[in-house]
Amino acid sequence: MIDLLIIGGGPAGYVAAERAGHAGLNVVLFEKKAMGGVCLNEGCIPTKTLLYSAKIYENALHGDKYGVSGDNIRFDYEKIVSRKKKVVRKLVSGVEGKMKSNHVTVVKGEAFIESRSAEGIQVTCNGEKYIGKNLLICTGSEASVPPIPGLKEAGEVILTNREILEMTERPASLVVIGGGVIGMEFASFYNSLGTEVTVVEMLPEILGGLDFEVSAMLRDIYAKKGVAFNLNAKVVQIAGNKVVFEKEGETHTVEGEKILLSVGRRPVTKGFGLENLGVELLRNGIKVDEKMRTNIPGVFAAGDVTGFSLLAHTASREGEVVVNNLTGRNDIMRYNAIPGVVYTNPEVAGVGETEESAKAKGIAYKVAKLPMAYAGRFVAENEGGTGICKVLVGEKHGEVIGVHMLGNPSSEIIYGACIAIEQEMTLKEMQEVVFPHPTVSEILREVVFSF
Amino acid sequence: MPKQGQSVESCIITTLHKKKGDIVKKGEILFSYETDKASFEEESPVDGTVLVSFYGEGDEVPVLENMMIIGEPGEDISALSTPAPAQIIEDAVPSADATVAAPDKVMAAVETQTTTSENRFISPRAKKLAEKNAIPVSQLDGTGPNGRIVEKDVMTRLVDRPKMTPLAKMVALEEGVQPEIAGTGLAGRTRAADLAAPVNPVYGVDYEDKKLSNMRKLIAKSMHASLQNSAQLTHHLGADARRILELRKKAKTAQQEGRIAANITLNDMVCYAVINALKKFPEVNTHFLGDTKRYFHKVHLGLAVDTERGLMVPALRNADDLSIVGLSNQLKELATACRSGSVNPDMLAAEAATFTVSNLGNYGVEIFTPVINLPQSAILGVNTILPRPKDLGDGVYAFVPHIGLSLTYDHRSLDGGEATRFLKQIATEIETMEIQF
Repeated sequence: MIDLLIIGGGPAGYVAAERAGHAGLNVVLFEKKAMGGVCLNEGCIPTKTLLYSAKIYENALHGDKYGVSGDNIRFDYEKIVSRKKKVVRKLVSGVEGKMKSNHVTVVKGEAFIESRSAEGIQVTCNGEKYIGKNLLICTGSEASVPPIPGLKEAGEVILTNREILEMTERPASLVVIGGGVIGMEFASFYNSLGTEVTVVEMLPEILGGLDFEVSAMLRDIYAKKGVAFNLNAKVVQIAGNKVVFEKEGETHTVEGEKILLSVGRRPVTKGFGLENLGVELLRNGIKVDEKMRTNIPGVFAAGDVTGFSLLAHTASREGEVVVNNLTGRNDIMRYNAIPGVVYTNPEVAGVGETEESAKAKGIAYKVAKLPMAYAGRFVAENEGGTGICKVLVGEKHGEVIGVHMLGNPSSEIIYGACIAIEQEMTLKEMQEVVFPHPTVSEILREVVFSF
Repeated sequence: MPKQGQSVESCIITTLHKKKGDIVKKGEILFSYETDKASFEEESPVDGTVLVSFYGEGDEVPVLENMMIIGEPGEDISALSTPAPAQIIEDAVPSADATVAAPDKVMAAVETQTTTSENRFISPRAKKLAEKNAIPVSQLDGTGPNGRIVEKDVMTRLVDRPKMTPLAKMVALEEGVQPEIAGTGLAGRTRAADLAAPVNPVYGVDYEDKKLSNMRKLIAKSMHASLQNSAQLTHHLGADARRILELRKKAKTAQQEGRIAANITLNDMVCYAVINALKKFPEVNTHFLGDTKRYFHKVHLGLAVDTERGLMVPALRNADDLSIVGLSNQLKELATACRSGSVNPDMLAAEAATFTVSNLGNYGVEIFTPVINLPQSAILGVNTILPRPKDLGDGVYAFVPHIGLSLTYDHRSLDGGEATRFLKQIATEIETMEIQF
C-alpha cells in the first residue's frame, strides 16, 4: 500500500516527498516534465541565474565608481543562457538525488486521478494503476493569458515566463505587460543588457501587494536606468509588435520586438481527473483548510494550485504541513510571515503587513524607517546607491508585524524578520539581538532602535 | 472599588465626577458606578488632588481594586503602581523595584500596605520569574515554608504550560489569561491570537468589521428590546382582495382622467381599512405602558419604510381625519421624506404612532411575523395577494385573490379573541371598501 501519492514535482511536491520519504512513508511522486517544477525549470532558479549574469555585467560596466576599470566589457547572450541551463540541470539532478536517497518512487508521466474508494485513491500513469491512502495535489500554476484582442494573432512575439527563458537572442526592445514580480525581474534583466524596456501596468503602482513606498522607490531607480513605465494603463489590443493601452481616457501605443505577458498566474486544476474526486474549488484554486486538507478525506493540496500565496517557499512549507500531520505531528499553515523577494538590482524584500495592508485590516501600528545608508557596509558597497528599511510594529505592544527593504542584499536579510514575526518578537526582544558588524543587516537593528 | 454585596465581583464606572488633576474635598462625589442591579456614588474620604484615575467611564472594575490615587501634586506615587491586577502581592522587596520591572504599566495600582484576599507570600526570585513569564501568582501553589511560593513552584508551572511568544506573554500579563492548549505558532508555541477566540487564518481575513451606523444601532436596540420585553404572537388571516383590486383599477382610471389627484395604491387602501378598523377597536389603538394602558382618541398610523439607511417607521398623525386621497398623498410624502432624509425625527419615535403597518406584499412575501414597535400594542404585516379556493355558494368553488394579513400583537395588552376580531374587522373593511371617485 502506498502511503502518499503526490502529483507534481515542484517545490510543494518534491519537498513533501523528501520529508515523507525521510519519515518512512511509502511515497510515489508523479511528474510529467522535469523535477523541480516551474520554480526550478521556468521560474525562480533560471531567472536568478540570468539576473546574476546581468548584475556582474552591470558591476563591470560601472566598476570605475569603485576605482576598477575594464575595457571592452561585453556579454555573450548564448553563454548566459547555456550557463542557466547548466545550473538548472545541476539542481534538477540534485532534486532527483534527494528523491532517491529518501526512497521516493518517481514516476515520469502524466498522472490521472481515477477514483476514490474503500481501497484508497486510485491514480493511473503510463497505463499503470497506483492506489494510495493519501493524495497530495501540487499541480502548480501556469501563466494566465487574458483575452486581449490580437493576442493570439501576434504569435511568437508574445512570450510568457516559459518562452522568454528559451530565447537564444536578446531582443532589442521588450514590452512587459504586467509590472508584478515576474515582469519587473525580466524588465531588470533586459534593461541591464541594454534592451529598451517598456512596462505597462494596470494598477497605480508596480509590484502590487508590496509596500507602496518601496515599490515607488524601485520604480524611480528603474526609470533612471531607462525603463519606461506606464501605470494605470489598461491594455486593450495587441497588433503585431504593438501594444495598445488606455490611460486616463487616452489611447497610447508602445512597440517592442517581443512582448512579455506577465499578468499573473492561474492554478492548474484541469486535465488530471480532479473532477473525479469532487474536490471543491475556491477562486479557481483548490480550497484547503489550515492543514491543507481539501473537502475530500485523504486528499490534500499544496502550492500554487491553491490559488493564493503563489510562492515556492509557501508551497514547500504547505507540503511539509501535510506531511507533518500525516506523520503524527500537529502542524498548521501560517501565512503572516511569508517573505516576498524581488530580485531586481537593487533587491526588494518584505515580510508581513505593509502600511497599506495594515490600514486595510484596521491594525493599529507604528512605523519607523531609515535609509539604507545607515548601515556602514551598504555605503561601502553601494556607491551612489539608495535604499530603505521600514519596520511596522503593533501600536500597543510593539510586536514586529512587517519589515520591508529596498537595497542589496535584502533577500538574504529578510528571513531574520520572518523569525521575528513568527516568534511575535517585540521591539524589546529585537533590541537584545546582536547583529554582525559591519553588515547591511544592521539596518534592521538601526530601525528597531529608532522607534 | 467598594464591594457592594456578596455576589458582586465587579462594577461599571458610569460617571467620573473628578478627573486627574481635580482638587477634591472630603465628602465630594468622586465617581458613580453601578452593578447590574443598582447604582452608587463614591465620596472622597480625604481632601487632596486626584493624581491618577486608573479607570475611565464605562470600564468594568473588579471590586476591592484601586480606583484613584488622591494626594498632593508632585507627590511620588510610583510606589503605588504595580504591573497588573493579577500581581497584587505584598512582599518585602522595595516597592521601587516593582516599578523598574514594569515601568510602562499603570494598569492598576495597589497601596503597598493595603491587604487584599489575594495576598500571597512569594520569594523575590519567584516573583521576578513569574512576572517575566506572565504567570499569575494567585494560581500558584506554594511549596515553601508556610505555603510561600518559591522559584521551583514557578518553574513547575512553566514546564506544564505551552511555550509562549514574547507578545503572547505580554498580552497574557495584561489580560490575565493563560494558554490552555498548544498554540498555532512555531512548533505549537502559543501566539497572542491563540489567547483570544480561535480563528481560521487560512484565507487570511475573510470578513470585514464595519462600525454600525447610529441608525442601525437604534433599530437593533429597539427590535431586540421589543422581543425581549413583550409577549408577542402573530395571527394570520386572508381577506378577499377582489374588491380592492377592482377599486385599484378604478382609481388608476380616475387618476388618468384627472378626477382624483392621487395614485391610490393597494397599500393606501389597506391602511385606510386599518384606520377604520382601529376606530372600532379602541383596545388596539393603544400604548401598553406596564401599569397603565394609554387609549388614543386619534389614530396615528406608523408606516414601515425601507430606505437605503435602514428601516424607518414614520408616523402619520391624525390619520383618521383624512380621506383616502389625503391619506394616499400624505403616506407618499412621508415615505419620500424618509428616503431623502428630510423626515421630522420626532415622527420617527415609536411613541409618535399608535399602530403600525408593514407591507411586504410588493416583494411577494406570503407570511411574516412583524415585530411590534413598543409601546404600541400591535402591528399589521401586509402580505402578497395569492389566489385561494373559495366557496362562492351553490356548490361553486373558484380561485379568488386573497391578501394576507399578519397581525402581531402584545399579549400583555390584548387577548387572542380581541386581536382576532380586530384582524377580522380589517378583512371586512377591505372586502367592503367604498371609495367615491
